[in-house]
Amino acid sequence: MKNKIYILSAAHISAQTPLREDWMKNPILYNEEYVRAIEPNYKEHFSALEARRYGQLLKRALLVSRKAMETSGITNLDAIITGTGLGCIENTEFFLKDLTFNGEELLKPTHFINSTHNTISSLVAIDTKCNGYNSTYTHKGISFECALQDAFMQLNNRKINTALISGHDEMTPDYFAILKKTGYLDFSEQGFAGETAVAMILGTEKTANTLCKIEKVETLYTIDFEYINSVTEKFAKPDYIFTGINGQSENDNRYFDVCEKIFPKVPLLQYKNLFGESYTAPALGIYAAANCLQKGNIPVHFLIQGKSANCKSEPTKILFYNNFEGKNHSLILLSIC
Amino acid sequence: MNTFSQMENLILKLKEEIIEVLNLEDTKPEDINENDNLFGDGLGLDSIDALELIVLMEKNYGIKIKDPAQGKEIFKSIKILAEYIAAKRTK
Repeated sequence: MKNKIYILSAAHISAQTPLREDWMKNPILYNEEYVRAIEPNYKEHFSALEARRYGQLLKRALLVSRKAMETSGITNLDAIITGTGLGCIENTEFFLKDLTFNGEELLKPTHFINSTHNTISSLVAIDTKCNGYNSTYTHKGISFECALQDAFMQLNNRKINTALISGHDEMTPDYFAILKKTGYLDFSEQGFAGETAVAMILGTEKTANTLCKIEKVETLYTIDFEYINSVTEKFAKPDYIFTGINGQSENDNRYFDVCEKIFPKVPLLQYKNLFGESYTAPALGIYAAANCLQKGNIPVHFLIQGKSANCKSEPTKILFYNNFEGKNHSLILLSIC
Repeated sequence: MNTFSQMENLILKLKEEIIEVLNLEDTKPEDINENDNLFGDGLGLDSIDALELIVLMEKNYGIKIKDPAQGKEIFKSIKILAEYIAAKRTK
């Protein structure tokens, strides 16, 4: 018999008020194309000596991990699994600039140490004293879902009982400028590029603050006709579908097209209008969906004009659907518990 | 400028450089006693900071430290470090 798997807690640092769920009632709305995460006061959480070697992304990762653990009451983790599209890109940029401007000599060791993708997962492991399974997935827009799937399978097969999964990405001014210049991101009409730091504690035992149950996780490279036909058999009909629409018509139409085929007439929701676009934005989407299920409420700002009719007041099942440029699809079914 | 003032200026400059390169937020030059240990119970620096200091010495003063045992002596305090730089600097 397979285990039941729950999201016991989750914490975020993003474009919305950090470490809180204020976005449910009082979201911060943006008109800019590029929004950095709102930083909490790290001095309340780290000593100056401790924080001096951490870049912003590492500080965010540590803080959301600590907060998620505190809320869940879990003190011993069996696994730490991180998804990140870019890793510690800010430190990578520092390191590359050092290489360029110093003739590949006199490189700062701190920038080098912090420039690897798995720095995040390893630092969280040191901080939480978790010597168990530790892994990092770097797979562009599906990085977080890969981490989630890894944890889900191990929990399902009783290899572990708890896991801290997280999604982390920063958007530096230089990286944003490159994405804009190449036309990869275009938020001239609506939407924005944001940053993600989300940690979730998954476990097989429900606790007092548990957010929701994870019913099913599937990832696949391409969606074909055969798969679309099988979705209704594999997944129970949800009350809502959380989608990754972001204001770019090419991206949004892909979601409308697939959702219409898999579950026509199920209301669609968005979350990137509040949290922004980043490789691990799906972590924020799942965090948001889990909170909606726990609180029995869908905030009005998640509704999509013309796509959110027939809304049910208290959701019991939410399907999270994401794709990255029409490939690397993920479907995650969450339910109340 | 006499030798005493030159040394005082070098110590102040070193403190500012160390604060910047080691990212010691909220630390001001006057918070660092020039005779305190840089490592352990003094400023609390560690081995990665030592690597940063080696890079700083070479980049800013043209001094290459090749022998780790030598580094242990040189990095004892800001004052000892400043005296070493004053004697060995090439830029």
